[in-house]
Amino acid sequence: MDPKNPINKLLDLLCFTPAGLLALVVLLVLPVVPPFNQEYLIRWLISAGLIASLSIGFDFTAGLINIVNFGYAAIMGLGGYTSAILADRLGLNPWFGMFMGALTAAILGLIIGAITLRLRGIFAACLAWFFGLALMGLATKMVWLTRGPLGMRVERLFDTASNVPYYYLILAMMVTVYVICKWVKRSRMGMAFNAIGQNMEAARTSGINPVFYRVSNFVLSCALAGWLGGFYAHFYGILTPDMMHTSKTVEILAVAYIGGRGSLWGGAAIAFPFILTMELVRSSLSNLPGLHLVIYGILLIVVMIYYPGGFAAFFDTHLRKPKNKVVNYFINGTAMENR
Amino acid sequence: MVEQAEKHLWARLLAWCRSLAGATVIGTIVIALIVTVDRGGYVLVNTIVTGGMTALVAMGLALTLGVLNIPMFAHGEYFMIGSLTAYYVFTPIKTYMETHPESILALWGPLVTIIAAMLVGAVAGVVSEVLVFRQLRQRSRENWVMNSFLLTVGLSVLMINAHQLFFGADFKGITGYFSGMPINIMDVYISKDRAIAFLLAAVVVTGFWLFMTYTRTGRAIRAVSQDETGALIVGIGLNGIMMLTMALSCALAAIAGASLLFMYPAYPSVGLEPLYMAWFVVILSGLGNVLGAVMGAFMVALLKVMTVEYIGSGWDFVVPSALIIVILIFRPSGIFGSEVRGVLDK
Repeated sequence: MDPKNPINKLLDLLCFTPAGLLALVVLLVLPVVPPFNQEYLIRWLISAGLIASLSIGFDFTAGLINIVNFGYAAIMGLGGYTSAILADRLGLNPWFGMFMGALTAAILGLIIGAITLRLRGIFAACLAWFFGLALMGLATKMVWLTRGPLGMRVERLFDTASNVPYYYLILAMMVTVYVICKWVKRSRMGMAFNAIGQNMEAARTSGINPVFYRVSNFVLSCALAGWLGGFYAHFYGILTPDMMHTSKTVEILAVAYIGGRGSLWGGAAIAFPFILTMELVRSSLSNLPGLHLVIYGILLIVVMIYYPGGFAAFFDTHLRKPKNKVVNYFINGTAMENR
Repeated sequence: MVEQAEKHLWARLLAWCRSLAGATVIGTIVIALIVTVDRGGYVLVNTIVTGGMTALVAMGLALTLGVLNIPMFAHGEYFMIGSLTAYYVFTPIKTYMETHPESILALWGPLVTIIAAMLVGAVAGVVSEVLVFRQLRQRSRENWVMNSFLLTVGLSVLMINAHQLFFGADFKGITGYFSGMPINIMDVYISKDRAIAFLLAAVVVTGFWLFMTYTRTGRAIRAVSQDETGALIVGIGLNGIMMLTMALSCALAAIAGASLLFMYPAYPSVGLEPLYMAWFVVILSGLGNVLGAVMGAFMVALLKVMTVEYIGSGWDFVVPSALIIVILIFRPSGIFGSEVRGVLDK
């Protein structure tokens, strides 16, 4: 429990608490534990991992600087299409293509951010939404490039029929996204983000240039979405404009907010049980189509009204401060920010 | 004396024409006329019918934005509620009419349907205000615009899927409210349904405008939209006004949904297209500007009809979005501006 201990130093560097590490280990061994070693369950786990990673990236903007990026799914789709088109037309290696997807998404994020982020938050949400609609329309109509609603076939990342490698890849990507976001949040920049999110006028008075910080936050979040979009493209092997639809953004948004805004880890923690339950509801009660989305909507409304902090706030108030020293170490680690 | 007044009027008119709002309105009319000459009268008819209905939806959206400060994402769902109610009310009326063709319902059936849809829409608005928005308002007003926006997102998901759960995802539509030959005006055939839909929109918009301008309640609503605290001080009951506003704006959307049932059959996500259109209009004309929304609705309708006409269907989201983005860059408060700054300052 000594902060100088190398293990603790490593944990601190990766921004994990021992409990978080345990959760990660559980996720790592999950594909070999009996009920979860079936291919369709692993596919569910992968989609949960993707939603979890996206919700971290989404929360980075929504939770820290209080701007809802309503075109998040479309920006992810842009990354996916970029990577897929580059792989298809130029024969670019998909691993590299994913980063190109991140780059184009970041450029789009820069454009949207530079236009809207000098205005109030709601404009940014609307404009990102319209950009998303326009992108989806373009992907539908530019049939010569994207094959439109017919769907574009994309080369997959691995040569196997098994889904397990993809699962480990998305877990690795999730951890990377988390660590990047957390590092930025810990830096001086993250402090500026927090200040802007809490009170923009106060932040401006203390010499923080809100436009610069908001735009850089937005760009990073979009870049992460583009990168994950590349994974989406090369995992599912088929891209349709539907993946950019607003309802996909709503899905990410719901997970991020139920998980707890501003916490970064809340969305990722809640995504796995949540998505698995939803998929279970959807597949077992298939005579009641739409039920799982009704639950989505009700949960989102109830959390927004009665428990705005989401799961993370619940965890922080009720479980974060145990009396027992060992348990305390287990939950909080030794990082300064958790004390 | 009269001459002087006339001169004054002309000067004001000229000034208005030179302002951005006037220039856009005149430009829109000129473009509409050019397109009509180029492609034929049906372009104008389509623009006017679509514009009238978009105006209803957009007016409701502008009202909730101005008075309640809620950027409504679920407004299309009240449109959906309107069309769903209209379907379930009109179908029995229609079967009854088949056996009793001379009944009085043949003429008044559609009106009864639309009024029923209006009432259901208003009730739905009140229910969502009381159960959802008031709860949040009582708990926290911090960061209200963003939080209420997310609430409406949840509401939208909930309503779309509840429709799918209880009524199924199939198209529930009718061929038309009125049978009979279309009306012929200058070689353009207009079906009776379209003509009635436009007339209805015109009547409702006018009535709404009169209500907002000349009644005490309308003035109270406008007072709340300008300054909530001030309205409270002069003795306006906020809760009642907010409930009324919500009921009004949802009823407007439901009227639009019901009277367009022959064009948009009721299905779960039917509200998305009117919602997008209404948002385009509201951003174009300035958040919370109710009268501007009417003019903006015709502009967006013209833009949409022209896009379909010259570029092809399917582009009608891309071109308006692109234009809106350009407008947002140069005129963040919209073409007509807005005296309601509430939404922008929170």
